[in-house]
Amino acid sequence: MTITDDTATTPSTDRPARSTAWGNTLGRFGILVAVVALFIILSLTTPGFFSGLNLRNLLDQQAPILIAAAPLTLVLIAGQFDVSLSAVYITAPLVGLQVESHTGSIALAVLAGLVAGLAAGAFNALLVVICRINSFISTLAASYIIAGIGYLVSDQAILTPSSPGFRGFAATRVLGLSTATLMAVVVIAVCWVLLALTRYGRYVYATGANAEAAKVSGVRTRWIVASTFLLTGAAAGFAGMVNASQSMSAQATDDFSFVFAALAAVVVGGTSIAGGAGAVWRTVAGALFIAMMNNGFNLNQVDPIYQRIILGLVILGAVGIDALTRSRNAT
Amino acid sequence: MTAPAISLRGISKSFDGVQALVDVSVDIMPGTIHALVGENGAGKSTLGKILAGVYHADEGQVLLAGAPVTLAGPREALVHGITIVAQEIALVGTRSVLENVYLGSESHTGPFVRTRTLRRRYAELVAETGIDVDADTLVDQLSIADQQKVEILRALARNADVIVMDEPTARLATHEAATLMTIFRGLRDQGRTIVFVSHFLEEVFSVSDHVTVLRDGRKVADALAADLTPTELITMMVGRSLDAVFPDKRASADSGDAVLQVRGLTRPQTFEDISFDVFPGEIVVVTGLVGSGRSEVVRSVYGLLPHDGGEVFFDGRSVRHAHPRQAIAHGMALIPESRKAEGLFLGFPVAGNIALPHLRRFTRWGIVDGSSLRRAAAEKMAAVGVKAASPGVAAGLLSGGNQQKILFARAFMSDLRLLIADEPTRGVDVGAKRQIYELLAELAARGTGVLVVSSEMEEVIGLAHRVIVMRRGRIAGQLAGDAITENAIAHLAFGQDATVGTDHS
Repeated sequence: MTITDDTATTPSTDRPARSTAWGNTLGRFGILVAVVALFIILSLTTPGFFSGLNLRNLLDQQAPILIAAAPLTLVLIAGQFDVSLSAVYITAPLVGLQVESHTGSIALAVLAGLVAGLAAGAFNALLVVICRINSFISTLAASYIIAGIGYLVSDQAILTPSSPGFRGFAATRVLGLSTATLMAVVVIAVCWVLLALTRYGRYVYATGANAEAAKVSGVRTRWIVASTFLLTGAAAGFAGMVNASQSMSAQATDDFSFVFAALAAVVVGGTSIAGGAGAVWRTVAGALFIAMMNNGFNLNQVDPIYQRIILGLVILGAVGIDALTRSRNAT
Repeated sequence: MTAPAISLRGISKSFDGVQALVDVSVDIMPGTIHALVGENGAGKSTLGKILAGVYHADEGQVLLAGAPVTLAGPREALVHGITIVAQEIALVGTRSVLENVYLGSESHTGPFVRTRTLRRRYAELVAETGIDVDADTLVDQLSIADQQKVEILRALARNADVIVMDEPTARLATHEAATLMTIFRGLRDQGRTIVFVSHFLEEVFSVSDHVTVLRDGRKVADALAADLTPTELITMMVGRSLDAVFPDKRASADSGDAVLQVRGLTRPQTFEDISFDVFPGEIVVVTGLVGSGRSEVVRSVYGLLPHDGGEVFFDGRSVRHAHPRQAIAHGMALIPESRKAEGLFLGFPVAGNIALPHLRRFTRWGIVDGSSLRRAAAEKMAAVGVKAASPGVAAGLLSGGNQQKILFARAFMSDLRLLIADEPTRGVDVGAKRQIYELLAELAARGTGVLVVSSEMEEVIGLAHRVIVMRRGRIAGQLAGDAITENAIAHLAFGQDATVGTDHS
């Protein structure tokens, strides 16, 4: 506990140019190189990797993760965190399937899942923006509440859709790809355009990079933060519906690891957890990298235990690179 | 004659090439209250911090009882019985008063703190000093005045004989300040020495034995307080020659109605009953001591700080800005006091920094037209003289002066009716300063209202058509035209109601 030094009169000096526009994005294409390299290596070395069936399955498996991870990128760029994705991903389809069993309408079911996710996102936004609770803690607390609601909605039963046609929501083939994959592509494209090209996207970056300066510049930073939670909640609910369609079931006791997969995709892609920098394409690259890595391990029959350890090391590596670049560009 | 407790000999100190102190020698006698006075930036706080080992002098010596010592840090100064109570409270807010007072000097048995012994010591300390703060209250729940008392108790608990108080009353209400003065007298009567850094002259005169006056880092006077009058003191503190870096003051075009009218603006504990006007083409400078509420007033007008009472009229219409967004829409721009905290996005390109508040203009169907944005930003960069390799360079890579000019380019991008600039030349070099003055003068000449907050006397006098002087949250007075003199401003700012303009010999 010492007395604070006075640093008020430190003029900033020109330092060697290193960083580039929009938070180092342009200069850092490492993850793309890694994705392409891994794809080529696996295609050449691993029999069964480069086949239409394998690659289609790979995309289908990744679809729900990509649908949630793309808007999650916006949450992180705005300088926040959302760990409630798993709970939303599990609970929203329980709401959706209850609606489906009562109305028989697949469209209404999907809409209900989407609305449930949106409501969860609104709850998160309320806690973060109005109650001003740290988003890591508030979304953690929200996770438990939302998961608990899932048990209530489902009566602790495994829910299955009444109409076998529900499978078609995610599994219909269009132009050689499943609707799950195509919906993921649409969500990614929307988030990508939103973040990279629109005024809204600029405000998201500004809010995460320096919320005070953004406010002085007239950006409604609280609304921006709230909107990223709304988007992500709705997307997580939708992802849950896609997953329910793929597995034709939903239950409150489902695996909670979904949020880890989504966060891993964002972080491995190179979006900074400090906010203000990152991109949707990075998240897509991160998700594909992890997916191909796991797929390669499976095809080569590597013990799943080691897969987990290696994935952990990859995440550490990605975060390490981020920290290193940030300290080099520290101002 | 007793020997000085501390002697400073030929102390010089500079920060990044800026001389804060030049060859200052002071003797501080034991058992006295010794005031260090001067304007903002005169070097008084720096001198206090050198005494307490917070800063290290570049040249010169510190002598304790005649022997030179090197005070490597606050901890070492404390070993010699010297400590500082800084302007920024350095307490652990979430722990109790008792724990804070004895943090690092706990009575203990092995690893266990002997709380009962600490309580006894605390009771003794309170009895001895008469400074009474409840031992079990959490520091966060105390007023600033009580937190300062805790800091003083902590200093005394470590057997400090010399306490440097750096602007202790800057954030206190009048009666709290009076209580603190009583405490100072009590400590002096017990034989302790207090070095009192302050710019409130009433307080200096009410308690000090000795006064050392600093101006621009040099000692200009050293006297017994009893031998000085307030007017003499102010004359010694000011009286600088103006550098000829200011553009001519064009007579403010008297174009009728005020662009900004502030009436009775009030925010409890911050500012009270603030009323003033800014006319088109006029440069109004708000000045006063640090902490007098200057920035808070302009931030409130801009929508960054809510106010409870009063009214703001912009172009004759009553406005209440709840968010800067509305202020910007009305044609206001703010250049904030802290470039890094509130101004710039250091990792973003210069063009992005300039255009952020004006993106709507470059957006069609929600999509930002990046190339026309860069073109417009480049135009403004050229207009205000931002030197950067391209509009795509990250703002953090530019020098302080260029970074400041980015904020001007940002403000100039709109149809500006009123520019608010809070300390617009802080941390920029002389050349950039001059350019910034030119920009402000040109802006006013084009009929925009300019409201500047400044601590620098030269800047206030060199720029202002009209000066508003604040003191402790209120407007102490307004000066215009030839009435804008250092003496007049200083008298208003320091709170001495000597007749303006007559005592300058």
